[in-house]
Amino acid sequence: MAYPAKYSALNELQLSEEARRTLTRIIRVAFPHPAVPDGPYERMTEKIVSEAQASTWFRVALTQGLLTLDSLTEEHFLDLPDDRALAVLKRISDLDFFGFIRRTTVLNFYDDPEVWDVLGYEGESFSRGGYINRGFNDLDWLPEPRIEESDEDLTEIGPLPYDIAQQAPDRAEPAGQTGGVPSEEQFSDLFKGSDTVNEGNTAS
Amino acid sequence: MTTAESARFDQDDADVVVIIGSGAGGGTLAHELTEKGVKVVLLEAGGHLTNEDYHNNEWEAFNQMAWLDPRTTSGSWRIARDFPNLPAWLVKAVGGTTTHWSGATPRFKAHEFKTRTAYGRIDGANLLDWPITLDDLAPYYDRAEQKIGSTHRHGRPALPANNNYKVLAAGAERIGYRHYATGPYGTNAEPYDGRPASIQDGFNFQGDKNKSKWSILVSEIPKALRTGKLDLRPNSHAVQITHTAEGLVDSVLYVDGDGNLQRQRARIVAVAGNAIETPRLLMLSGSPMFPDGLANSSGQLGRNYMRHTTGSVYAKFDKPVHMYRGETMAGLVADESRHDVDRGFAGGYYLETIALGPAFLASFVDPGAWGPGFASLLDDYENTAGLWIVGEDMPQETNRVTLNTAVTDRLGLPVPNVHFDDHENDTAMRNHGYQQASLLYEAVGALSSHHTPPYPATHNMGTARMSARPEDGVVNGFGQTHDVKNLFVSDGSQFTTGAAANPTLTIVALAIRQADYMAQQMASAAI
Repeated sequence: MAYPAKYSALNELQLSEEARRTLTRIIRVAFPHPAVPDGPYERMTEKIVSEAQASTWFRVALTQGLLTLDSLTEEHFLDLPDDRALAVLKRISDLDFFGFIRRTTVLNFYDDPEVWDVLGYEGESFSRGGYINRGFNDLDWLPEPRIEESDEDLTEIGPLPYDIAQQAPDRAEPAGQTGGVPSEEQFSDLFKGSDTVNEGNTAS
Repeated sequence: MTTAESARFDQDDADVVVIIGSGAGGGTLAHELTEKGVKVVLLEAGGHLTNEDYHNNEWEAFNQMAWLDPRTTSGSWRIARDFPNLPAWLVKAVGGTTTHWSGATPRFKAHEFKTRTAYGRIDGANLLDWPITLDDLAPYYDRAEQKIGSTHRHGRPALPANNNYKVLAAGAERIGYRHYATGPYGTNAEPYDGRPASIQDGFNFQGDKNKSKWSILVSEIPKALRTGKLDLRPNSHAVQITHTAEGLVDSVLYVDGDGNLQRQRARIVAVAGNAIETPRLLMLSGSPMFPDGLANSSGQLGRNYMRHTTGSVYAKFDKPVHMYRGETMAGLVADESRHDVDRGFAGGYYLETIALGPAFLASFVDPGAWGPGFASLLDDYENTAGLWIVGEDMPQETNRVTLNTAVTDRLGLPVPNVHFDDHENDTAMRNHGYQQASLLYEAVGALSSHHTPPYPATHNMGTARMSARPEDGVVNGFGQTHDVKNLFVSDGSQFTTGAAANPTLTIVALAIRQADYMAQQMASAAI
């Protein structure tokens, strides 16, 4: 059993080694990128720990959550294979414990240069002269397109005088069906440095 | 070239025009007036960032530039669930949201100034014809396009096709669209007006370090300062516009960088705080003479908030795209921008290229999502192309900005609440846009495409709208408030309806026209 916090030091998050590994595993299962090495996931763990220092609610929810995660299955969370671990997370996805982890990860994990390398994003570009000489137009599997406007008049009112495709697309995904549990959670701390805001009544 | 020194006018100088907000409307008005010799005090709540200060990193730039003062939201829109304190993505800095914008500059069409007439009555929509026509604005559109250096106009060359545009254009062609191009767009393909050509660095939203994008910061402010008639005051957050017993405005109270309340007297006040702060300030300026807020005898102040029918589509391919390389929005498909009820909705929309880095894509592509499906959206980042749908949303009286008296900001002022519900027309248009975008991408081999819900709005309009009759709106065809002849609105709050077009060009054109009118009124001592 993991005891992630020493109760005599409640103003600091002190995770046991096992609790830390559990947190890293949660992040890896919730945001599975097989090609991303351990580094970014471990850095996310550290980031969550440091965010927890700044927020009492975050800290106590995280502590209690990590402490009791194993209660959902007979085996340790750390021993579960990916699919069973994912099932556990789906069961707790409405909790603020998970929400803090999810939001912090979404806001930070994909801002990591090592993750960018795997995803194929090149990051900062101004100091390298932008992309004008570094492939801004190097896509070669489609024809070179027209860049000027069409000479034809653009219909302003009414149907177009030519046909365009209009049937239902084959492979479109509406938002909310990307395989995770669509969450009802709020993204309330999207920004830093602002006042805490609660629901209020508007002036009529 | 170093920036010229700001003029310094006395706080008791009652001859100045005080402009609140240094974005597309306020900044253009300031420049145009100072060129005519008018003394202008330009109050900007944010700081004076320069291009050298900007970061080529999405979150760093956002935290540096964005309006982060808290707001609250209500209504059935997804924003209230996903981003309850961030209804809009606007800028709090000199230059306003023009430092963030990406630069598409289409004009309104003739019928978009006359939507009540053209579309007829639509249940639940507060449609109204503008009190001006396209013919009225056309000469000012010319001047605005020349000021900005819009590509494809007045001899300005087109930007080249970047990777994201290649996918958009090829897909458009394949499904039958004919009206696609890399503009009109407000970033230089060649040097112009002291600004260099684009180096296609992909960080338009993050301020543009290269200065090839037109913005108030790089163009209008330096030119206005050189006239010696602009007193630019950053870190000056307006909190109230005062008025005399005769009902004319006479000064602006603002909080300076040290947190002290200051008072600047004014001959004329022009409010240009964008569509959330403008009505908020006018409401904060209410008094016994103006019990519903300054200049709000119509009751329309804060109402008719519009944000364009937005939504994005990201499509994955089995080959690389690298959509983030290059100008972020230099690609428009215009065929759907027409009004054609056969499609099941009034008004039209553009499809425009857009790209986000992994950091923002993760945050906005499907807020709240996680798990293997979400991760796979990001895994294919290199092979992803993106576009966004920009369409005319319906003005509704119930979509409105109000003061949330239960929540205050760090200055102790009630924060604005933005209430929004989609109109059926908005939903139908968005769904059509999603459909067409997916078809477009499938036609060039997309393995799948993902529909992203609307996120914090960069197009915000309508909350102090123009009207012919004082009962129907807040300002007249020159942005002059019906109730107070020396009080003007200069930003997108003036828009009676939103049209399909990106709003900046129209805001700039209106500001140039407003400056001509204001100067003429001052010369004849009418105000």
